[in-house]
Amino acid sequence: MLQTRVGALELASPLLTASGTFGHDPAALRFLKTEDLGALVLKTVTPEPRHGNPAPRMAEFTGGVLNAIGLENKGLAYWRDHVAPDLAALTVPVVANAGGHSVSDYVAMTEAFDAMAGVAAIELNLSCPNVADGIQFSTEVAALKEVVAACRKVTPKPLWVKLSPNVASIVPFAKAAESAGADALTVCNTLIGLLVDWKTQKPMIANGTGGMSGPAVKPLALRMVWDSARAVSIPVVASGGASTAADVLEFVVAGATAVQIGTASFRRPDAISAIALELRELLTENSTSLEELRASLRWPHPVSC
Amino acid sequence: MATAELTAWTAPCTLLSRREVGPDAIIMELALPEPMTDVAPGVFAMLSPADGSGPEIPRPFSLYDLPAPDRATFLVQIMGRGTQALAAVPPGQEVLCTMPLGNGFTLPAPERPVVIVAGGVGCAPFLHYLRLRLQQGAGARTHMIYGAREASRLYDYQAFAALDGIDLRAATDDGSLGFHGNVIAALDAGLANGTLPRDADFLACGPAGLLHGFADYARKQNLQAWLSLETYMGCGFGVCNACPVATEPEGPLGAWPWARTCCEGPVFPLTSIQF
Ligand SMILES: Cc1cc2nc3c(=O)[nH]c(=O)nc-3n(C[C@H](O)[C@H](O)[C@H](O)COP(=O)(O)OP(=O)(O)OC[C@H]3O[C@@H](n4cnc5c(N)ncnc54)[C@H](O)[C@@H]3O)c2cc1C
Ligand SMILES: Cc1cc2nc3c(=O)[nH]c(=O)nc-3n(C[C@H](O)[C@H](O)[C@H](O)COP(=O)(O)O)c2cc1C
Repeated sequence: MLQTRVGALELASPLLTASGTFGHDPAALRFLKTEDLGALVLKTVTPEPRHGNPAPRMAEFTGGVLNAIGLENKGLAYWRDHVAPDLAALTVPVVANAGGHSVSDYVAMTEAFDAMAGVAAIELNLSCPNVADGIQFSTEVAALKEVVAACRKVTPKPLWVKLSPNVASIVPFAKAAESAGADALTVCNTLIGLLVDWKTQKPMIANGTGGMSGPAVKPLALRMVWDSARAVSIPVVASGGASTAADVLEFVVAGATAVQIGTASFRRPDAISAIALELRELLTENSTSLEELRASLRWPHPVSC
Repeated sequence: MATAELTAWTAPCTLLSRREVGPDAIIMELALPEPMTDVAPGVFAMLSPADGSGPEIPRPFSLYDLPAPDRATFLVQIMGRGTQALAAVPPGQEVLCTMPLGNGFTLPAPERPVVIVAGGVGCAPFLHYLRLRLQQGAGARTHMIYGAREASRLYDYQAFAALDGIDLRAATDDGSLGFHGNVIAALDAGLANGTLPRDADFLACGPAGLLHGFADYARKQNLQAWLSLETYMGCGFGVCNACPVATEPEGPLGAWPWARTCCEGPVFPLTSIQF
């Protein structure tokens, strides 16, 4: 009932983990039933190790969390030796997520992931808001197009491009990624925010600003999904604030093919299985299906683009 | 200390009972979905109200006691939004629980003395620990200094006092019970007058101020020490990297500048972290 196809990838479910919220490796899979998870999207890997930001790295606000982890990861060489070998034996497809500072970084990551048997698809994180000089790829159309086209050349594997919401309109970015050869879009990464402690007059997290996620960002992500799904013909994978089966169906109605579950896994590591259970019930009770609901949003007035 | 295998489960657990233990703390008793045996002292659970009424992220609490293999208790000091939401769950309703998480304490051989230094709810990891020491027949070589601002904040003190054969010492800032002064002063006095052994495992848990004081003292005195940290956490099960603690470059975790409190900790040998 939940089977979903994202481009060439056949998935058991439309529910995916979101990069950076389910680990660097498959250890946390033990909390989920295989049939509930479409794909395991792992934490961003960069060519070199990154130590990440000082603490505190996370703080809460009503309905969400703000984080600036700073892409802490042990780098490609470590990942290749210690994580990749375990992936091929998993029953769930793995989406590896690439980060970097330059076109050549992203190309090197894509080539490396392409060579790993356990990696089913590659997601480019062009939109991490916490890396000082990483931002231009996700907020400049030409830069995005260049990096996606360069990565496209070095892999036949499904290439997903994760877009940033920190732009006036996501449409030109969605179109640029598609025309540069992306197989799918992930919409979207975290929204840049700031939390302040008025007593100390300091930001709540050490980095100053951070990325907003959780239920509070759902309306923003829904708008971004709706806008991008209409602009392109490749699948859109939603990310931002989904924590219930109803949220997932809202994203599907807005045009999403699959939905990543991020912050919701912090409250309960089995969130994806809990949502899958609820999702099957909702579809059955309402005698409907994911296909029927997909991109079925009925806009109240004629749409002008 | 090796990283614990991730053996935790997650489930909504019925709150069986809730009782006040002091002006701002409660003991919550949960029904577990399956019996827990052989659990290390010092491991923790992530708890939140199952109805979603709490904040977006759950809160970490040390496993306090196992009154039966399928019942666990937690000692919860009410601080802010997360603990208020937990304290508002009525008995009969469910608490979402992920457990057991983290690396707890390893008990030394029965002959090896242990000195525990705990402040306030920092006593929580030690009730189970003390029970295991008694089972080892090592009560006489087990010392605990339990401190707080005032006697009423020595939460559930009777439970500790009831453990026959343990050397339990209270310390209060206002002198309302036991030693008049903080736990570090009490520790220093005990070592100076020879009523506490120097050649022992020293274990500490409590608020950041206490832990920093203890870490400084233990380094100066060259004590073999472990800390259980109460670092702010995101997920609690190792996936978000929001609870970093700086590692000691020369220590066993020095290959990477950070350790995750939730996975490599919350119990760390003092020599492995910069604290
Ligand atoms: C392993 C472990 C075991 C623990 N065991 C116990 C126990 O047995 N009993 C007990 O009472 N307590 C225990 N604690 C402490 C307990 O988890 C906290 O008191 C609790 O999380 C407070 O949550 P709150 O929402 O009520 O309070 P608040 O003080 O309101 O804290 C919540 C908010 O404050 C901010 N915050 C708090 N601390 C920090 C920090 N260090 N850095 C950055 N931001 C921060 C965050 O934004 C967070 O959302 C333990 C902690 C750990 C890590
Ligand atoms: C703690 C944390 C770490 C994250 N790390 C990454 C990351 O490394 N790479 C990435 O592409 N996105 C990262 N994200 C963004 C998530 O993948 C997701 O897009 C975002 O959180 C919105 O979804 P949510 O509301 O379901 O969490 C991170 C989010 C959080 C909360």
